[in-house]
Amino acid sequence: MIELKNLHIGYKNGQISTTVFSNLNANFSKGELIGLVGNNGVGKSTLLKTIFGSIKPIKGQIILDNKNSSEFSFQEMAKRISVVLTDKIGGFNLTAFDVVASGRVPYLNAFGQLSEADRSIIENSLEQIGISALASKLIDELSDGQRQKVMIAKSLAQQTPVIVLDEPTAFLDHSSKLQLFKIIKQLCKEQNKTIIVSSHDLDMLFKNADKILYLKEEGAFEFEKPELIKNYFTS
Amino acid sequence: MTNKFILNIILLLAATVVLFFANLFLGSVNLSFSDLHDSMASVIFYQIRLPKSFTAVFAGASLALCGMLMQALFRNPLAGPYVLGVSSGASLFVAIAIIIMNNSLMGLNYFLGKTLISMASVAGALLVTILILFVSKKTKNNITVLLVGIMLSQILGAFQGLIEFMASPNTLKSFVVWGMGSVSGTGMNDVMIMVPVCLLVFLACLFMAKPLNAILLNESYAQNLGINVNQLRTTVIIITAVLTGIITAFCGPIAFVGLSVPIACRLLFKTSDQLQQMVYCIFMGAIVLLVCDTLCQLLSNNFALPINTVTTLIGSPVVIYLLFRSKLIGQ
Repeated sequence: MIELKNLHIGYKNGQISTTVFSNLNANFSKGELIGLVGNNGVGKSTLLKTIFGSIKPIKGQIILDNKNSSEFSFQEMAKRISVVLTDKIGGFNLTAFDVVASGRVPYLNAFGQLSEADRSIIENSLEQIGISALASKLIDELSDGQRQKVMIAKSLAQQTPVIVLDEPTAFLDHSSKLQLFKIIKQLCKEQNKTIIVSSHDLDMLFKNADKILYLKEEGAFEFEKPELIKNYFTS
Repeated sequence: MTNKFILNIILLLAATVVLFFANLFLGSVNLSFSDLHDSMASVIFYQIRLPKSFTAVFAGASLALCGMLMQALFRNPLAGPYVLGVSSGASLFVAIAIIIMNNSLMGLNYFLGKTLISMASVAGALLVTILILFVSKKTKNNITVLLVGIMLSQILGAFQGLIEFMASPNTLKSFVVWGMGSVSGTGMNDVMIMVPVCLLVFLACLFMAKPLNAILLNESYAQNLGINVNQLRTTVIIITAVLTGIITAFCGPIAFVGLSVPIACRLLFKTSDQLQQMVYCIFMGAIVLLVCDTLCQLLSNNFALPINTVTTLIGSPVVIYLLFRSKLIGQ
């Protein structure tokens, strides 16, 4: 599904490029829940941004649907990878329904008006995540856990085979974390989606992920089953 | 399109038409249809009132639309062409253009003169909008952006003060009066330039509804939804600069309409759909400026009050109210 090939990630600022992590190789298959772990500043967010196309790789390739992902337009990427970011959103009368509806943007005409089919996809997404009751609530009035569910429902409405979540459990209490991972796991198994989750919540990832990509301080990385990665953290 | 939206638009359209006619016929001289046979009354009607009412409609609509676009782009409910200094940039450039034209280009033909002033105004607006965009990329704090905008308008105002200080008494008076904002300085010729430009831009804006809806989440999400964020940013900047520039060239810097109308529309109509919000802002902007101008005419007998006295009296309490309701500001 997704293949990282000799991937060097980092930031370009004019002529100067700063490499954050180099020579990554990994392969994410359909239906897999991938955990991304590593210390703060090691490059997890940079890697996720590179995967969903917000920044370009310094070197190397990301192969998506047998194609170099940098060849896809914004619109084409929008139909392949959806994201849940750490940024808080709100204001502007945005309701939970509106936010989930934004997942349909890649499929709408120039005026951005929803069709009946779009509406039923949105309602369906809300229902799958179990937040139909929140639909008409303002985003500003929701708890962090509820917001996170709304963002996942947005990703569902976007109907992408790949979902990227950047530290989705950061602001959540224990029971919300459990719920969130239950939903994520379900989406992998039942809808065959590839989901990549970065998190500091190692226990959750060890319990739920199919494979873990561990970015180490010294620029090396491990990409293994959770049982094997666990050894690096128990000493 | 929901039924509620269509109903609201019909009501707003009706209100605009009623207020347009009220604005036409009420004033220091109250006119009626039968007066129009009279030559004096018909001069007042066709050469003063009609262009003024049209100007109020399009200036109000344009400034409200600009405010709405800026608020969506910066995701900052306190953004607007006046508070962020865009109007001041336009004013300063107009002042410079007038000085240069008075000194070296005397006897310029009317259309060419107006076109040059409009272009200078647009250039000034563009410069400030780009500066504000730059600042808003550096800081995520809405209040900082607002404060920088206010400081920027002070700086531009200082330069303008310098120009006014050096101007001849006659030019000075026209600067000061122009700076207070007015929709009555336009003739039918000006309306002929302003109306088509505004209508064209309004129409173009309707095609931006989808990217604007997406950018309400934030720029990263918008990009992930397939929106070309750089292109959207450039388009919004050009549109606000052109509209604010043109309106400022004809009416002077009009205060607070661009800021308060979009806020009022969000509070009144409770929609997050930017297509609906745009149409609401266009109508409400026209309505607010028609009301303000009619008040200006009715409150004094022999002369019309400067429109900024009224818009500021209505607009600044709105800002203060919002500062106390931090939820709406998001910081």
